[in-house]
Amino acid sequence: MASIRAENLVKRYGAFRAVHGIDFDIADGEFVAILGPSGCGKSSTMRMIAGLESITEGAIYFDGKRANETRARDRNVAMSFESYALYPTITIYENIAFPLRSAAVEAREIDRRVRDVAEKMELTALLDLKPHGLSSGQAQRVGLARALVRKPSVFLLDEPISHLDTRQRYRMRRFIKSLHQEFHYTMIYVTHDQEEALALADRVMVMSDGEIQQMATPDEVYARPRNAFVAGFVGEPPINFVDCRVRRDAAGWAVEFEGHRLLLPERLHRAAERVGDEGLAAIRPHFLSIGENGPMVIEGRVFVTEELQDQNLIFVDIGGTRFTIVAHPSVKPRRGDIVPVAIDPDHLLLFPRSEAKKFEDLAA
Amino acid sequence: MYELKAVHKRYGLAKVALRKIDLTVRDREFLVIYGPAGAGKSTILNILAGITRPTSGDVRRDGVSILRVPPERRDAAMAFENYALYSHLSVGENLAFPLRARGLGAAEIASRVARISGILGIGHLLDRRPGLLSGGQRQRVALGRAIIRPADIYLLDEPVGHLDAKLRHKIRAELKALADDLSATVVFTTTSSREALALGDRVAVLNEGRIEQAGTPEELYHRPANAFVASFVGDPPMSFLSVAPRREGDRIAFATPGGMPVAALPARAVESLRDEPGSRIQIGFRSNEVRLAGPDDPGTLRGRVDVVENLGYVKIALVGIGEDQVSVSFPASRHLSVGETVAIAFPRDAVHLFQNARAIAHAAPYA
Repeated sequence: MASIRAENLVKRYGAFRAVHGIDFDIADGEFVAILGPSGCGKSSTMRMIAGLESITEGAIYFDGKRANETRARDRNVAMSFESYALYPTITIYENIAFPLRSAAVEAREIDRRVRDVAEKMELTALLDLKPHGLSSGQAQRVGLARALVRKPSVFLLDEPISHLDTRQRYRMRRFIKSLHQEFHYTMIYVTHDQEEALALADRVMVMSDGEIQQMATPDEVYARPRNAFVAGFVGEPPINFVDCRVRRDAAGWAVEFEGHRLLLPERLHRAAERVGDEGLAAIRPHFLSIGENGPMVIEGRVFVTEELQDQNLIFVDIGGTRFTIVAHPSVKPRRGDIVPVAIDPDHLLLFPRSEAKKFEDLAA
Repeated sequence: MYELKAVHKRYGLAKVALRKIDLTVRDREFLVIYGPAGAGKSTILNILAGITRPTSGDVRRDGVSILRVPPERRDAAMAFENYALYSHLSVGENLAFPLRARGLGAAEIASRVARISGILGIGHLLDRRPGLLSGGQRQRVALGRAIIRPADIYLLDEPVGHLDAKLRHKIRAELKALADDLSATVVFTTTSSREALALGDRVAVLNEGRIEQAGTPEELYHRPANAFVASFVGDPPMSFLSVAPRREGDRIAFATPGGMPVAALPARAVESLRDEPGSRIQIGFRSNEVRLAGPDDPGTLRGRVDVVENLGYVKIALVGIGEDQVSVSFPASRHLSVGETVAIAFPRDAVHLFQNARAIAHAAPYA
């Protein structure tokens, strides 16, 4: 086990700054997900922790001891990568056993541990095969098994379960989570998938553009995102954004958008003051509904209704903005229908318009 | 209408990709082929396109065999998972290519390129070469090149698999609207349950080269034919509890291995239950159709919380009951600890029964 601390961590590749001087603390036994889009610096950060990448500036501490100069193999860190590099000439069994053989673990113990992890990962039937011909999902599970078979102080998992189907993804995710609960490894899980990050981690470190945008519990990054980037990246279906004007008059603080006006709850008064005139309002699809019930109802035109069976997703155009609404499966408006959309202002979020730019860059 | 009739496909001696499948693609339908990696999804598209020949069986269009019709005469527009863009052409030229090949005028080409690139969010990339794009951007160009022209059938092989969640969400809705507007015939493959249910007029669930079930999203979700479909369609996947059935007059009651009664159904609802003494059946239910109960609620099932997953808007507890583990959704505002004992209340009208992996009864809430 180990705690990890980073101080002003910088990674530069020539003129390109991948990581811009970040600080974080990861407690012994904590499960932290590093979440962000491709190019946000999450993998560089992980590779510096692993010792696979030199540290341009700043320092990393393992259990309070500076580790910048410690070689990768001396950090007792296990890794699984997206590009699961398996050895093609040896069997799956030997691929999984490899780190144990290098560590000179006794043969019977190796056999026990390989078979145990293979069973948990549903790889038993593949043990005698060679990697050639495995599906990408299977190869990924072998890569993960090889990382898990050791008993390291820190687990680094880089996109270990992308490319899996829905059922496998749940199975693997729960396996990883139960593994953490059982053994309390310090785990760092790099992913671009917000659902994985929320479901697995004690804390989520949201990164973009080489910087930490927020590092907090899943509940906090979901309900109280620090900026528009975090609000937009976390949540499925994605949060709705709309440009608005922030106004104050006799009735109090309000936002105006698409010719409508919405009084802000007291909770947002300070944010409104800080944001200034040009705002970016955001509301999650779960807090919009089709119907007349609500302090504010706006008409919109239905673009598409997706029937997911457990819920329907209704895409509604209000002026020039497309909103997503989560509705009960019985609510099925058709394309082109004009529907009333009720907004629950208690769940509104407000950001400065300048943050919209960051959000758009992400979508590009 | 396209039909695969007893189509079998073997690669080499050992690898069987498709096992004598029958599949119909109706005119103007959005058909999703949904299955795990390696199920044979791409092979179906390649056979429809004429790129791959079936080992045996027939492929028909409107009743006429097209086995001998070469790909270039089939009028199928394809988007592959691995892009295949023209690297020497700009993004705009890649998109325009299928239109130029059909002799469209410059103004018409420009207007279609603008529309499709706008829908896919690649309008700002038109002057770039594919080599300078990210994987997700290249994938959108490949999709755009397929859907930009009219075609008899669109074959889209995991066309949004490499996009991030937000883009997938946006483009999914655009694709559905576009297919509706054009009354296009589309076959679309995916490994995502959400995508399959959101897009498909019908969904064919493919597993190890066999079609497990083909039907509307509603049929697959509420009346899965077997345990595979039940566990594969829906996000999160269905949970199963092993129970022992016992006839009690005109009812059939179910108890867990520990003897705990979990549910009872009218015998007429369970038509094909085979009375095998001591046999177990699986009771299946979805995480959002059960709820956590109070300690005093009658008829509840008790278990231990093994894992708690936070999905933001909701949490899911994985609860161990005997040898089984079941998922239960609960409000994100509530806190549950691992190891805690919880009671689960069953909705009796939302369970599915499976015997030997085949469905023998459904009680669906919205049916």
